[in-house]
Amino acid sequence: MLQAIIRRICTIAILGCLSPALAQAEAPIKIGLAISETGPSSPPSLFELRGYELAIQEINQAGGILHRPLELVKYDDQGNPSTAAQLYQKLLTSDRVDLMLSPYSADLTAAVAPIVNRAGRVMLTVTSASDSYDGRYSYIVQGITPAARIMLPLLDLAKSKGYKTLSILSLNNRLGAEASKALTAEAEAAGMKVLFHETYSPITTDFSALALKAGEPKPDMILGTTYLADSQGILRALKAQNVTAKMIGFSIGPIEPEFYKGLGGVAEDIFVPTSYFPTLKTNGNEEFVKNFRAKYDLDPTYHAAVAYAAVKTYAAAIERVGKIDQDAINKALHDIELDTVVGHFKVNANGAQIGYSAYLLQWQKGKQVLVWPAAEADADPILPHPGWQ
Amino acid sequence: MYQTLISLLVLGLLWGGVFLLLAGGLNLIYGVMKVVNLAHGDFIVLAGLMAFSLYEIGFNPLVSLPIVALALFALGGFTQFGLLEHIKGSGPTAELRTLLATFGFSYVVSNISFLIWGSQFQSIPFLQGAVVIGGIALPEALLVCSFVAFALSAAVHLWLTRTKHGKSVRAVAQSSLGAETCGVDVRKVRFLAFSVGSAMAGAAGALLICLIPFQATSGGEMTVQAFTLIALGGLGSYVGAFLAAELLGIAEVMTQYFLGANGAAGIIYVVFVAVLIFRPSGLLGKAGRV
Repeated sequence: MLQAIIRRICTIAILGCLSPALAQAEAPIKIGLAISETGPSSPPSLFELRGYELAIQEINQAGGILHRPLELVKYDDQGNPSTAAQLYQKLLTSDRVDLMLSPYSADLTAAVAPIVNRAGRVMLTVTSASDSYDGRYSYIVQGITPAARIMLPLLDLAKSKGYKTLSILSLNNRLGAEASKALTAEAEAAGMKVLFHETYSPITTDFSALALKAGEPKPDMILGTTYLADSQGILRALKAQNVTAKMIGFSIGPIEPEFYKGLGGVAEDIFVPTSYFPTLKTNGNEEFVKNFRAKYDLDPTYHAAVAYAAVKTYAAAIERVGKIDQDAINKALHDIELDTVVGHFKVNANGAQIGYSAYLLQWQKGKQVLVWPAAEADADPILPHPGWQ
Repeated sequence: MYQTLISLLVLGLLWGGVFLLLAGGLNLIYGVMKVVNLAHGDFIVLAGLMAFSLYEIGFNPLVSLPIVALALFALGGFTQFGLLEHIKGSGPTAELRTLLATFGFSYVVSNISFLIWGSQFQSIPFLQGAVVIGGIALPEALLVCSFVAFALSAAVHLWLTRTKHGKSVRAVAQSSLGAETCGVDVRKVRFLAFSVGSAMAGAAGALLICLIPFQATSGGEMTVQAFTLIALGGLGSYVGAFLAAELLGIAEVMTQYFLGANGAAGIIYVVFVAVLIFRPSGLLGKAGRV
């Protein structure tokens, strides 16, 4: 009887000693973020979320990182920068997450970056504006092609065709300003001439006069740093005023399937740069596309791909470090060079992405087709623009 | 340059038609009931997204227009009977209460749109060409929007001035108590005015989505634009709203061309502030209305 009691006490004591260690071994690594599950930016945000979730699912199925599963802690910021700032504060103080991911959009990332950086937490972001990576935030690392480089494939293709002049229309926001500034600089450096450059407010709905002005100098190219609604508005105005050019291309807007759905044939032959496309022959892309389609019954967008690649990059950096140590992970992210589904991940000392490049798509017969660079292209670009039917 | 100026003037006039389409229903409702329907823009967006869904199953937007207008007529009737009719009080107190009620209702409508259509921008590829007359391109969508706006305004004007129902509506607009004393069914008139105003928002939505991409949350901006326009014209004044719409259309297009697109987005508010300073009742409004 006494022996049985002693045995039971010993068993309880041993289990008591072991259980924290067991719990520690299996405690999940928490990854926190706020994302716009509702609000105007929710369609691309939801693609980002899908990319994060698929990567986490794959990593967990393969045994986790450092034998610990990943757990996503997420909140809905509704696209509001001040809500996002509060939520990141909560993630840091109440949820005490181990790793941070960025919210959707440059404006929201700019709102949360100082909070995360001050707390000494690493945040791998998927927003392209550069001001969070100019050296002021040592813990913020960029995991997407920078805005300044996104429009460059358009110029490369134009150069190859001998086009010399362009008109630029740019949305008056962080991304539009940065992308159009870089576009102007690169065009001039390549010996091209910017004949017209004008910005417009995000609430602009009537682009008639702007289209007339952009077409007046008869440029070889009409390029826009735009989102969806404005790119559709500009294109409608160009068509209605019969303004055309040899090449017409816009950022971001024409990536969305709704671009073609809302414009029909007018969207034909329009170019759009991207940082990712499902047919790319990048490392693991075939499997990623297959798994994404199986899980969501959708093709992955670049939002989903950069998000997926961000989690995989985190995993590689942590495996290299061997522990959850913010400074060590930060250093590993700065040092690491990794081939992801998006391309070759590499950042500079400020955390700005210098490895990922940009590609060019064109709407051809109702489908987006990868047309540039030539080595990666699935089809030849249709140039010059055949004019409005 | 001469041809460009003519083109800009024509475009301005046509965009004036679009503004009129945007604000017509709001103007009718305010003129009769002194209710500023802050859900007006959300009604337009809801109607536009309904037209989008009908287009997806094969309906031409011009066929969808009466269907959507009818649906919005019913929604207007429901809003009036279910919400506004229950708000008691008169004068400024009632105006403030209805303002708050329609403000709250705007969130209900926009969130219903969000639940059904999500938050992606949607648009309909319809009437994207242009009619060219004398070298001046007249965009088809603008032409149709303007035509419908003017036709609706004229129809409402005729209804108000030539029919018994219309005269009842005007009687209620002048004095609800007086009209009731004369045997006019005031509740019915209010129902009719709100429903017709909402149906006009429905017609506007079905056409505007062919011109301007909508998302579930686009309504707020439209309400502000529509309200600014009718305040500029003189709240409740139809001829004033027409003049204001044309003035703003021309001002916006000219500003965009000569001063830049950033300035054009704000010109509507610059003109509005100027009118408030120099003519507080609006262009054709009665003194003390705004």
